[in-house]
Amino acid sequence: MKKMAGFLAVVVLTFFLAASGVAGDTIKVGIVDTYTGPVTTYTYDVRDGFKMAADRINAKGGVLGKKIEFVIRDDTFKSDVGLAMAKELILKENVDILMGTINSATALAISDLCRKEKVPFLVTFSKSGKITGEKGHRYVFNMNENTDMIGRATATAFAKKRYVKYWIAGDDYEYGHAIADAIWSHLKALNPKVQLVGQSWWKMRETDFNPYITQILAAKPDFVIVATGGGSMVNFQKAAQATGFNKRVPFYQHTGIELSTLMPQGQNAPEGVFGTANYLFYYPDTKVNKSFADDFQKLYGRHPKSGALYGYMTAQFIAMAYGKAGKVDKEKFIDALEGMTLDSPIGKLEVRACDHQIVLPMFYGVTKKSTKYEFLVGSDLVSIAGKDYMPTCEEIRKVRAK
Amino acid sequence: MSFLEILFSAGTLSQVLMGLSRTTILFIVSSGLTLILGVLRIPNIAHGSLYMIGAFSAYSVISFLGGGGFAFCVAMVVAPLVVAAIGFVMERGFFSYLYEREHLMLLLLTFSFALIFGDLVKILWGTEFRSIEAPALIQGSAEILGLPVPYYNLFLLAVGPFIAVFLWLVVNRTKIGKISRAAAVDAEMVSAVGINVGWVFAFTFVLGCFLAGLGGALIAPMTSVSLGMDHSLIMEAFLIVIMGGLGNVWGALLGSLIFGLAQSLGIMVWPQFGIVFPYLAVVVVLSFRPKGLLRSVW
Repeated sequence: MKKMAGFLAVVVLTFFLAASGVAGDTIKVGIVDTYTGPVTTYTYDVRDGFKMAADRINAKGGVLGKKIEFVIRDDTFKSDVGLAMAKELILKENVDILMGTINSATALAISDLCRKEKVPFLVTFSKSGKITGEKGHRYVFNMNENTDMIGRATATAFAKKRYVKYWIAGDDYEYGHAIADAIWSHLKALNPKVQLVGQSWWKMRETDFNPYITQILAAKPDFVIVATGGGSMVNFQKAAQATGFNKRVPFYQHTGIELSTLMPQGQNAPEGVFGTANYLFYYPDTKVNKSFADDFQKLYGRHPKSGALYGYMTAQFIAMAYGKAGKVDKEKFIDALEGMTLDSPIGKLEVRACDHQIVLPMFYGVTKKSTKYEFLVGSDLVSIAGKDYMPTCEEIRKVRAK
Repeated sequence: MSFLEILFSAGTLSQVLMGLSRTTILFIVSSGLTLILGVLRIPNIAHGSLYMIGAFSAYSVISFLGGGGFAFCVAMVVAPLVVAAIGFVMERGFFSYLYEREHLMLLLLTFSFALIFGDLVKILWGTEFRSIEAPALIQGSAEILGLPVPYYNLFLLAVGPFIAVFLWLVVNRTKIGKISRAAAVDAEMVSAVGINVGWVFAFTFVLGCFLAGLGGALIAPMTSVSLGMDHSLIMEAFLIVIMGGLGNVWGALLGSLIFGLAQSLGIMVWPQFGIVFPYLAVVVVLSFRPKGLLRSVW
């Protein structure tokens, strides 16, 4: 009897597995990302933005009569785990496309797998310039800004200023160094007079920045480029506020004006911090952006951050590309997505055909107290158009040829 | 600049002050860890998670009371007590059944607690970074020889000695402290003379957890309260405990001093590679004193 039951269980399970593997009437998206630890403040937004768009598309009948379905895997910020999950999604779940990963190392590993398996992979938060730069290929797309673009945008903004003596400080890991290198090489090219007077690098998740700050102040630089990410964004700004650092030396942080950095600090964030961001729920002050931000807030009870935009527009791009391709086919999907444009909450976006990098605007401004919100916002905002801070297709061809 | 000039510059003084305030946090957390390690022989990996829970609890208390100096003081007492209560449940409900087993079992249990607490914090407090303000009185910074030293760091400098004296009194001047020291050396003998070792263990564990919670609550105004803050601390705390001598509270103090000062002075000497100095100090100490600076109770 026991044997019989076991046999039956196996039969039933096999049947279920087979049924889930075939998946005829849906478009299946596999999402591999980090859903444990501090980066969840970014990844939950991507997931929720994606879900919001997918639900809307499905409510209207889906694409090509098929619903968009997605399966989620938590890679716990480890690239070997992420890679194994991507394999599992491709081989067992038969996903049509993969997306995700906030960890650049994971993104590059999955990108390599997708090149071999010929499965499209849409990167939604990793910012390594290598993804669409030297390690780029037909099957990978980057749906957010990358470190090289951040470097160009920032260098353009500061090249006109009269600062000469720069100090670079940052998180001692790939993202920190990549941002700092990109900013510095482009800044040096645009304004040969700038000099680097010193550098400090701290460990990831440093909690006490005060000794670093006093050391930087003692060196008296004109300007400090702070290459931090994740939790260090808030930690550094808190230390700047406590020491009055921002009043003594101006400094810059990518995402320094972003909600994820400013909201936790309430009214107590430092004013006058230079920053860039690719999404702000209150800017540009247009109808589409406002309705996107309001809808997101209604659904999830919080303001959308940049990840929400990435997830939202990635889902829309996926739907549009399948619509254009006319059938669920991986190669046709890629052909359709190349050069595709989309009207998003922040204006027109384009997936550049030559390197599969999304072209999106960057907002540059300084932190300031707000009369409307309980936290500081970016003010004196300037929008840098996507085409003005992209490497040219020619440059991409050169780095890929190497 | 000559070496002497660097040594007596304004920079050195402020770096020393910063290093000492860091020492306070490190000492509070690692003394709790070393107490538990010494008396109960539990290498408590979840100690960092308890520190994180301390920080999140302080955040909740302060936002519940609407901020201000009073809320801050309440949080500094309530948050460690919450963590101490969790510690009580951990010790009585789980660890007390495992003392007869090998250390590996205890280690695995603390590791699973660390994972469970990480997820619990995510479920209870969400994924956003949180931040606590210091009371208005200790916001901003004092200027010492032209360089800013935040009042909050000075506040920590004042708190540190109190904790050290408090611990000294508990360990050396109270009956339970003396018993726990005896239990650290020979628990069997202590129970043989008719003392209930179980409750001594519970007391020590709860005190250790209280210190973890206090460390978390005290660091919260300086940094963002976020998931992952446990990981960065637990390794440093273990290094300090090993450097000072396992189970030795004064070793933890000495280790924290070396670690904190090596970091802040290292940054001054070579900012680009400031992070290596505390670890270098650990390597140097352990190559000369492999069993730690002070007598280990193991």
